[in-house]
Amino acid sequence: MAAPPPVSIVVVRDLSKIYRQGDINVTALNSVSLDIAPGEFVVLMGPSGSGKSTLLHIIAGIDQPTSGSAKVQGIDIARLNQSQLADWRNQNVGFVFQSFNLIPVLTAAENVELPLLLTNLSRKERRLQTQTALELVGLADRGHHRPDQLSGGQQQRAAIARALVTDPALIVADEPTGNLDAKSAADVLEILQSLTRTAGKTVVMVTHDPKSAAYGSRSLHLEKGELVNDAK
Amino acid sequence: MGFITDYIQLQKAKLAHERAFLHLLRWFSPLVWLDYLLRLIVRRFGLSYLTFIGISALRNQRRALLTIISVAVSCALLVTLLTLQRELTVPPESEAASLRIIARNKVSLAQPLPAKQLPIIEKIPGVVAVSPFTFFGGNFREETVTSFAQFAVDPVRFKDLIVEGHIAEGTYEAFIKDRTSCFVGADTMKRYGLKIGDKMRFTGTFYPVDLDLKIAAVFQGTVDDRGVFFHHKLLDELMGDPGTVGTWYLRVASAGVANDVIARVNKAFENSSAEVRAETERAFQMGFISMLGNVKLLIGSISAVVVFTLVLVTVSTMSMAIRERFRELAVLKALGFRRTELFSFILAESFGLAALGALVGIGGAWAFWTFMDLQKMTNGFLIYFEVTPRIMATGAVVAALLGIVSAIAPSLAVARTSVVEGLKTLD
Repeated sequence: MAAPPPVSIVVVRDLSKIYRQGDINVTALNSVSLDIAPGEFVVLMGPSGSGKSTLLHIIAGIDQPTSGSAKVQGIDIARLNQSQLADWRNQNVGFVFQSFNLIPVLTAAENVELPLLLTNLSRKERRLQTQTALELVGLADRGHHRPDQLSGGQQQRAAIARALVTDPALIVADEPTGNLDAKSAADVLEILQSLTRTAGKTVVMVTHDPKSAAYGSRSLHLEKGELVNDAK
Repeated sequence: MGFITDYIQLQKAKLAHERAFLHLLRWFSPLVWLDYLLRLIVRRFGLSYLTFIGISALRNQRRALLTIISVAVSCALLVTLLTLQRELTVPPESEAASLRIIARNKVSLAQPLPAKQLPIIEKIPGVVAVSPFTFFGGNFREETVTSFAQFAVDPVRFKDLIVEGHIAEGTYEAFIKDRTSCFVGADTMKRYGLKIGDKMRFTGTFYPVDLDLKIAAVFQGTVDDRGVFFHHKLLDELMGDPGTVGTWYLRVASAGVANDVIARVNKAFENSSAEVRAETERAFQMGFISMLGNVKLLIGSISAVVVFTLVLVTVSTMSMAIRERFRELAVLKALGFRRTELFSFILAESFGLAALGALVGIGGAWAFWTFMDLQKMTNGFLIYFEVTPRIMATGAVVAALLGIVSAIAPSLAVARTSVVEGLKTLD
């Protein structure tokens, strides 16, 4: 008996996004449909303005589509209101940004602990979870350092720990290696890759770099808002 | 090229010294200590909303300090203005003041009353004591403006009008006996370094005569320990016995009969050549104050300008502080913080800075006006300058509202900006 096909964690159907710039309508996404299975490391590629970041933002629930639907773990996120969306993001999505976006006045550990303030965890549980996340990215001994005392690679690893700490099913990364040297970029990509392989996380990453894309299990190419290639 | 290397080394050493000095200087700022304390708390107890807000608010300590100082100075100014308004429009109350009545010429305070009215007033039921009370308005020594008043009284009758304060035993009798002596308030004695037996010379401004008086007695413990009282007979002699007095000063048996006595005094001289207007001491003082103009409106207007300026300064500071952190707030939104939570952060930060400013400003104003030698500072113009709990509460409410108002604009901006737009903002 054949194993049942895995239920998709992300289901996107006929997704369109049109921005208004002055009097002109700009189509960022045009009727995009795709499915992403749990544990996949999906890389979104394409030239600037192709709509890859817009697609990532909609999947992550920080932008709304003009039409179509985007379901993550069965929830149509376009139908959630602002508060529900905020709660949903906290519980289901981890963010990794190109410029790290750590809070400069907090230490690495405090930055990682920040999303846990929104949970009902006790102080002790929060500390434990923070420490575990920092250990996963190899920063356990740098938790008391502030971002300006860490290298770019270390800052991005702290950002990955922050994305992981609430144990979300989906991690979205918007050009996470864009500001890093080759060695640090490789470290970060290896961590993201290992998260899909060992922890079963789903990672959706936007990148321009083919070398970075090679770490993914699947590449999606977008051009002018349309999905032109889907390679596993 | 050696001299260039030497020069660079020298500049580096100078820079290192300057940095070390500035680093040392930082520790004199209370905000550095507060930040340090917050970080200790976080390290010991973990991150919480409160510590996160505190650390965020103190990230730019120079701006936080300047905001606190601007709120503090404005609050101190506001409290001072409100206190000044109160002092100028609400004369100090004493229990005895409700028992005293001043009767003046109905036409004007400047018009004298006939001395022959005395026996008529004395016979009015409820009147316990009555004395002539004539404002001399002279300048002491070489002063061009003397801030304490001098009054000509009947020393024997005047003693019955004094129901408060303290007079050294036996000294008042000496005042009664000597026609050229005077009875002086302790504050004036202290201010001019006078002692019993000293001479006081006054140059007349209303009256074309000068006074040479000898201090015989001193009083203290009244609402106003500044006045100088001397024999009316002396003034009469110097003026060629005109048979007039400035006003009549009365004491009634109880506060309950005061209104009745006022009505009777007014009625007693109705349709005479010198009609009288009697009123309580407090009402008389209020009438005197009204001659200064609409003090309440003037000070109220200045206070409003102070508050308005304060609002502008704080709103602009908070807007700048939040605009700088738009990207960070967008990240917080992405992490799952709701708009209400972000609003709470901004409100708490703004409120906290305003509260710290208010604490320093209102507390400082209270301490300053409570422990300063006000008479010396105002050249005797003010004797009391009490920063009341009500005034302090008003200052605190203004600061609290300020904290709320200044959080509204940045909160709306944050609420309106989407995560994506926020993330695009430059740091």
